[in-house]
Amino acid sequence: MSNSIPFNLDPPGTYLYTGQMATKGFKLTRFGLSLRDPANRERFLKDEAAYMREAGLNEEEIRLVLARDWTGLIEAGGHLQAMLKVAATVGQNLWHIGAHNAGMEVEELMRICPRTVSALPEGEK
Amino acid sequence: MARIVGGFGISHTPSMGLEYDKGLAQGFSPRWQKWYDGTRGVKAWLERAAPDRMIIVYNDHLNHFDFSAYPTMAIGVAPEFRQADEGWGLRPFPSLVGDVDLGWHLTEKLVRGGYDLTVCQDLAVDHGIYSWLPYLMDLPWTIPVVPVAINMVRHPIPTSERLHQFGKDIRRAIDSFPGEDRIVVVGTGGMSHQISGARFGIANETLDHYFLEKLKDETEELVAIPQEELMRLGGTEAAELAIWFSMRGALSDKVKEVHRYYTFPAITGCGVVVYEEPA
Repeated sequence: MSNSIPFNLDPPGTYLYTGQMATKGFKLTRFGLSLRDPANRERFLKDEAAYMREAGLNEEEIRLVLARDWTGLIEAGGHLQAMLKVAATVGQNLWHIGAHNAGMEVEELMRICPRTVSALPEGEK
Repeated sequence: MARIVGGFGISHTPSMGLEYDKGLAQGFSPRWQKWYDGTRGVKAWLERAAPDRMIIVYNDHLNHFDFSAYPTMAIGVAPEFRQADEGWGLRPFPSLVGDVDLGWHLTEKLVRGGYDLTVCQDLAVDHGIYSWLPYLMDLPWTIPVVPVAINMVRHPIPTSERLHQFGKDIRRAIDSFPGEDRIVVVGTGGMSHQISGARFGIANETLDHYFLEKLKDETEELVAIPQEELMRLGGTEAAELAIWFSMRGALSDKVKEVHRYYTFPAITGCGVVVYEEPA
């Protein structure tokens, strides 16, 4: 994807976190948030798949996490803030999620951020 | 009678906090040095304003609450508020001192006044407050605070009109708080930014400057902008600007702007504006 940023709220540019998304990703989000607890982080790192099965995730969700498929996880309803905790636990950060979402390498994304646009609400100059 | 002596709106981001810790240890990166320098005036103002209590309207980022029960508006009423572990461990800062008396007073007035607040007698606070506070206040942190958390993580979120009115009703509640205390009201939310999707990293400095320019005297005009429009132009998390309306609503029409600073270090527009009430 190029650096052009559309002014709309449609995927894949934007995944608005609605109630429906929250329902779809309830378990995924709950799993991510469980990693706020250092003891859980340790257990997760010992055996990621086992931890996730215990957390009630389905095979597809487990696959997405193991693949660090941040875009797939967000599409599956995992809340960004919860997926961020998964990233932090596995030694990644917001840039990794952003780069995956934007279809870029981390270094490339860091180099082009801030991705400056300029626009005001309709009728304003 | 207690009175509000001023207030400020300020951005928050996780990196703002982490960069502070790095900055103190080994010097700030050029991007964050600007923010550090830009906030010196706010720190000096806060020392002069010498508040006895602070009300901080912010948003949690799934760090205390989770979706088993996520309140749309919640007030913290406790003797202290611990720091939330956001997944990378705790930063070297103590808990915030809580203001139980003002917390219950606001709860009484606001709930009876029509706000169905969730009352939290245990609340862990995340970078919504911890990221900018160290820039503005030396340790030990002694000023008691009342945190008010607004849902910004799952739509629907409260409307801009509601949050503006909420600020006005905070002001009314302070009018009946006994004593002579000086109170500062803070509204904190990121400015333009979006941290997921292919639009990750969108940076609309034009929009942020426009917002800072109009917040004091043309508040109604800003409040009337649909939140979708803010998100479309400034990224989904630009909706957090609506929290600044609570701060503005809590202040009078007579405030003076005494400080303003804006920069865009990396992913989030970082702005701050300080308003002071006439003596």
